[in-house]
Amino acid sequence: MQDIQHYVLFPNHDNAMRLYRELKKLGVRAVIAPTPRSASKCCGVSLMVEENDLGQIKETAEEKEIEILKIAEVEKDFNPRRDRYC
Amino acid sequence: MEKIYFDNGSTSWPKAPGVPEAMADLLLEGGFNINRGNYEGAYEIEGMVLDTREQLAKLFHARHSKGVVFTPNVTYSLNFFLKGFLRSGGHIVVSGMEHNAVMRPLEQLKGSGAAYTAAPVDREGNLKPEDIEACIRKDTRAVLVTHASNVCGTTTPIQEIGELCVRHGLIFAVDTAQTAGTLDIDMEKCGIDFLAFTGHKGLLGPQGIGGFLISERLDEEMSPLIAGGTGSLSDSLIMPESLPDKYESGTMNLPGIAGLHAALTYLEQEGIQKIHRRKMKLTAYFLERILEIPEVRVVGRKTCEDRVAVVSLDFRTKDNAVAAFELEQEAGIMTRVGLHCAPAAHRSFGTFPKGTVRFAFSAANREEEVDRCIETIYKIV
Repeated sequence: MQDIQHYVLFPNHDNAMRLYRELKKLGVRAVIAPTPRSASKCCGVSLMVEENDLGQIKETAEEKEIEILKIAEVEKDFNPRRDRYC
Repeated sequence: MEKIYFDNGSTSWPKAPGVPEAMADLLLEGGFNINRGNYEGAYEIEGMVLDTREQLAKLFHARHSKGVVFTPNVTYSLNFFLKGFLRSGGHIVVSGMEHNAVMRPLEQLKGSGAAYTAAPVDREGNLKPEDIEACIRKDTRAVLVTHASNVCGTTTPIQEIGELCVRHGLIFAVDTAQTAGTLDIDMEKCGIDFLAFTGHKGLLGPQGIGGFLISERLDEEMSPLIAGGTGSLSDSLIMPESLPDKYESGTMNLPGIAGLHAALTYLEQEGIQKIHRRKMKLTAYFLERILEIPEVRVVGRKTCEDRVAVVSLDFRTKDNAVAAFELEQEAGIMTRVGLHCAPAAHRSFGTFPKGTVRFAFSAANREEEVDRCIETIYKIV
C-alpha cells in the first residue's frame, strides 16, 4: 500500500485549474484539493496526483507554460478504507 | 410611446441573450468565492472564469490567456496601465482624441515626473501614424491610443502605429472601449502590449466588468496599482508576481464574469463581423438621411469607412442639449449629449465646449427607428 501522497503545488489557483484541465484532457488522474499545511504555509490549492504520472505532469506543465511551485510528498493521514481519492 | 435606444456608446442595450440568466444562476445556484474556497462548487466557478479568460484571449488573438486580467471597467484598466507603468516617470504619446479615462490619470501623473504629448488629429478624427512618430522623444516609453473615438466613431490605424512602436522599441497600449466585440483586433499582429476593454459595450455583457490583456514584456515592467488578498501565497506580505493574481486583489465580480461569459458565447455563435455589418448598415442609412438636413452638421467622417457605429451631430439652429431633450420628449429617442467625457477630443473637433448629440447604434436597432429619428429631427430643427 502506498503511504505517500504526491501534491503538485502552484503559485495560484489559475495555474492549478489550467493544469487540472490539461491532465483531464490527457486522461491523467488528478484531484483538486487544499494544499496540506505540512506542504506549504500558503493556503492555496494543489493537485493530488499519482507518482507514476509525475513525468508526464511536469512535461505538460512546461509545454503549456503552467507555473508549478513544487511537487510535495506528504505522508497519507486519511483513513485507508476511504482512500479513494486518486 | 415606444422608446428608441441610440446610446450604445455609453452602454449597449439590450444585452446578449443569456446574460441576465447566467448572472442570476451564479447567485442562485452557488455564488461561491473563487481563489479562496477550497471545495468543488468554487472550483466549478474557477473553471467558468478560466473559460472566460480563454474566450477573451481568442477574441483578441493574444498569445496566451494567462495575460487576461479582470477589472471593473476600461477606466480601471487604463489607470492600471498608466499608474503602474509610468509610476517611475517617463513620457507617453497619446492621440488628440482620448477620453478622460486616459487624460485625467495623465494629468494626475504630471506631479510624479511623467509627461505626455497628444498627437494631433484632424476635424474628422483622423490620426496619422507619422504625427505620433513626430511626438516621440528620447524619454518616450509608450504610445497609447483609443481604437475609435467615442465622440465621432473614427477609428485609428492601430496596425501601423503598432509597427512604429516596434521600430522605436516602445510599449503599445490600446483603449478598445468602442471597438471590443465590434472590430477584429489582433494583439499579435498589431504588436499590442496592453489592450484595455470593457464588457458592457460592444461585448454585450453587464456593467461592472472589464479588464485588460497584457504582454509578458510589459508585465515585467508594470507594478500592480491595487494590493491585497489574492488567495495565493497568503503567508507573504508582498504581492505575488504571478498572473493574473498580480493585478487581481480582492474578491472579483463573479456575476459580472458569468454575464460576460454568456455574452462572449453569444458573440462566438453570431460572429462579430455579422453584428458589425448590421450596425454599419444602419449607420450608413442614418448618415445618408442626416446629410440631407442642412440645419444639422455631422461631426467626424461623413462615410462608413474607418469608423464604428457612433455618429455625432451638431445642431446649428438650437442648443444641442435642447435637441437631445426634444428627441426624447417627442419620440422617446435616447441619445447622449455633451462632451462625452472627452473634452480633448471635442477641442480637436472644434466642438468644445458646446459638445454634440451622439447616436450610437446596436444590431438590435431597426431602420424604422432611424426613420422615426430623422422625422423627429426635421420636426425640431
